[in-house]
Amino acid sequence: MRGYAALIYVFLYAPILLIVVFSFNSGFSASDFKGVSFKWYAKAATNTFVIDAVVNSLIVAASSATLATVFGTMAALALQRVKGWVRTVFDGLIYVAIMVPGIVIGISTLIALVSVFGLLNTALVALIPALAGPEPPLALGFASLIAAHTLFNLALVIVIVRARIAGMDRSLIEASADLYATPWRTFRQVTLPQILPAVLAGFLLGFTFSLDDFVIAFFVAGSKTTLPIFVFSSIRRGVTPEINAIGTVVLAVSLILLFGSQLLLRRGHGRPRRA
Amino acid sequence: MRNATGPSPLLTAVLLAPGALWFLGLLVLPLGVVIVFSFGERAAVGGYQAAFVLDNYLNLPARWTAFKNTLVLAPIGTVVCLIAAYPLAYFLAVKARPETRTALLILVIVPFWTSFLIRTYAWMFILGGRGLPSLIEWAGLGEVRFINTPFAVLLGIVYAYLPLMIFPIYVSLEKLDKRLLEASEDLGASPWRGFMQVTLPLSAPGAVTACMLVFILLMGEYLIPQLLGGGKVFFIGNALVDLFLQSRNWPFGSAVAVSLVVIMLATVSVYMRFAGRIGGARDVSLV
Amino acid sequence: MNKRDFIHQLWRYKRGSISRRQFLGATGLGLASTVLATTMPELAGPRRAFAGELGDKVALTSWPSYHDENNFKAFTEQTGVNIELAVFGSNEEMMAKLQAGGTGWDVFVPTNYTIPDYVSQDLLEPLDTSLIPNFDASAYETRFTDAGTVDGKLYAISKDWGTTGYVINGGKITDPMATWKDFWDLSMTKYTGRSMVHDYQLTTIGNALKYYGYSFNSIDPKELADAEKLLLAAKPHLFGINSDYKPSLLSGDAWASVAWTGDALQLRRDMPDIRYILGQEGGEIWSDFYAVVKGAPHRAAGYALINFLTDPAVNAKEVLFHGYPTADSRTNALLPKELLEDPIMYPAAELLAPLEFGAAGLITNEARAEIMARFKSA
Repeated sequence: MRGYAALIYVFLYAPILLIVVFSFNSGFSASDFKGVSFKWYAKAATNTFVIDAVVNSLIVAASSATLATVFGTMAALALQRVKGWVRTVFDGLIYVAIMVPGIVIGISTLIALVSVFGLLNTALVALIPALAGPEPPLALGFASLIAAHTLFNLALVIVIVRARIAGMDRSLIEASADLYATPWRTFRQVTLPQILPAVLAGFLLGFTFSLDDFVIAFFVAGSKTTLPIFVFSSIRRGVTPEINAIGTVVLAVSLILLFGSQLLLRRGHGRPRRA
Repeated sequence: MRNATGPSPLLTAVLLAPGALWFLGLLVLPLGVVIVFSFGERAAVGGYQAAFVLDNYLNLPARWTAFKNTLVLAPIGTVVCLIAAYPLAYFLAVKARPETRTALLILVIVPFWTSFLIRTYAWMFILGGRGLPSLIEWAGLGEVRFINTPFAVLLGIVYAYLPLMIFPIYVSLEKLDKRLLEASEDLGASPWRGFMQVTLPLSAPGAVTACMLVFILLMGEYLIPQLLGGGKVFFIGNALVDLFLQSRNWPFGSAVAVSLVVIMLATVSVYMRFAGRIGGARDVSLV
Repeated sequence: MNKRDFIHQLWRYKRGSISRRQFLGATGLGLASTVLATTMPELAGPRRAFAGELGDKVALTSWPSYHDENNFKAFTEQTGVNIELAVFGSNEEMMAKLQAGGTGWDVFVPTNYTIPDYVSQDLLEPLDTSLIPNFDASAYETRFTDAGTVDGKLYAISKDWGTTGYVINGGKITDPMATWKDFWDLSMTKYTGRSMVHDYQLTTIGNALKYYGYSFNSIDPKELADAEKLLLAAKPHLFGINSDYKPSLLSGDAWASVAWTGDALQLRRDMPDIRYILGQEGGEIWSDFYAVVKGAPHRAAGYALINFLTDPAVNAKEVLFHGYPTADSRTNALLPKELLEDPIMYPAAELLAPLEFGAAGLITNEARAEIMARFKSA
């Protein structure tokens, strides 16, 4: 059993080890090790397109995760009280949003937006001639990408937060209302602290999903390059260890965040409780 | 006493509005457009031209192999993932020492935090001619080829989705009361029987959920067959991308997309009904 | 001194190959004319077009291993403009992206037969040659540049040209191969699992058509049906379907592939055993172009980039890197003689004679697109 577990870990980490090792390659190829060097890190750090791609990815991930968390939590709170057709419709939509493959979401969003933008652009230019120019007023880009990522994240947050609400102690809310707290105050002081772990988990999951998504971004990002799109086109251009360096940095940052948060949590738990 | 649980309908509407808007604009509208387009015709230069024809659906058998590959490899990939993940989840939940358990669990998620594409690229190298095959040849075990085979795609699938499979199983096994196992042993049952009669049924809901999660993702897979299958192992996802990015046949692509979604909804509902008997419907439900 | 000479000197000055003093002398400007320059719009105009307002970025969409990275670096040093390079595997893919819109591309590299379709779909900007002073139409061999002009308007200028044949790894394949029939037959028998074809309708279907001796450009339903039959029969025997086949040949996974001139030359640098074969039945001869996308967000930088790459000295470095012949006689004058006599770059006349240029309309042909898609998903 122990041996099997070890084997699985080797399987999981072999490619990652390879990525890290080759990031220090002084040669030009991601498959032929020539010697140890840090030059690809320097190269990645000064490559404007890498920096752009990283910044774009972070903006998109942060925006879509935030939007999804706020709207998703709102919807989850409302849905616990709604019955009837509204609830049925919402449940169905959430189910479909999670079920429909990313590739279908990407393609259908692309053709829908292209068609809608086509109509709207003609109308806009006709109404406001100042908008006429070589570039149409509406085009694929940040907004479409963030919107598409938010859709999936929204469904994710609603599912996670609802599960938490279902397990929540409702007597506290009733008590708070009995004490004449305003609904807002009840939410802030009673509900929110209880559902916060789920809200945060939803945010993190959404952030991670958005950061690593390729298939949706590939179709709806327009001219914007995110990190996965950059890596995909690098695979086509011919991979240099620069890609490995980027991968290693992403891994290192995630590990630091992970262990940092673990440490903080442990310290939080360790604090003596006041009675 | 004020009514705490029944806020005004207005508040409910306001809370639901942004989410509803999002679903409407980015799910209902795009899927609606795809359904409408699937009855259209390809414009002469590519793209969509309004029409009402069934040709695109009648033409679906032309993608039979892609559907077949997906419908065969997605369940196989799911089952292989399950077989690979279960012992590890069991080990983590039952056998691992509590001190190392958290660390080992974290180690399962960490690979998720390097770019999926970069990890898959690493596999392209490992499975390519200069990787494992050259080692095998050097060891005198003959000439083999991994890359661009269904094996490579399957391996990529297991690699990518193993952590997703491990977690839900781990969570349900963790709830397992070890006294139950002890009791079963006290009653003279063999460890194997204890496992079959106590552990396995208890972990079923987790396994059922995990399988569904992985299966859903596999049905729409595009990147793994693209990168590790080299255009030789085609999934529906690949056929779809091809129709939009090469043939520019939006109506036919839309028909393929609609069929994929319908097949998925059908398979998953059947699966849930069937699995509900094993694990209890509540645990299996996604929403 | 005319505008073009002035800009030529300006470029040399900016490249650092002449000093400021020499620059002022050579352009006949001197101190007095620098004063004049501020008052004369013709002088100020072109200079602004190159020196200022270029921004810091230009998006170039091209093909794999098609540009010398050192040239890109030089361009960035001179102008401060970074080149964002994207590469594609087929003209169809480029067109799909442009049709969907919002690409953000400035300059891209279409192949001869696609240009009329791009023009009819209003996706290209007619070129303003005053912004490309390095371009001298009279220096080019016209049969490779004609396709850039549609209805008397210039939309694209020649980058290079080439042929589509196939490469074989001579260390693994020793059979005498000379025809497309040889390629397909051996791919399906003796060398099963070792051949590659492009993920590109034009060359993959075209060279399957050549197996039967049909035209590379055929759209005859019966002939296409034959080609599809061959493709479907070959599919299980192929190693892969990919327009970027060099890595697979270099790693030893694949031993043969449909290939373009320059890729064969590049492969030969690492694998002396490589052989490039033009099927005796014929096949494709083509030329690639630089074009500016309509509504290009960095239009000025796009023109500056085309102008830079059209400079014969720069273009010569490009050719040395990518190994495709150029139609520009000024560039050829700068290239070593061995290269100009290389049989891969300049195949024998009897091999070139039966080759066909891709036909206009093939890029949008639904029948060929669908056959390719069926072949891939089979």
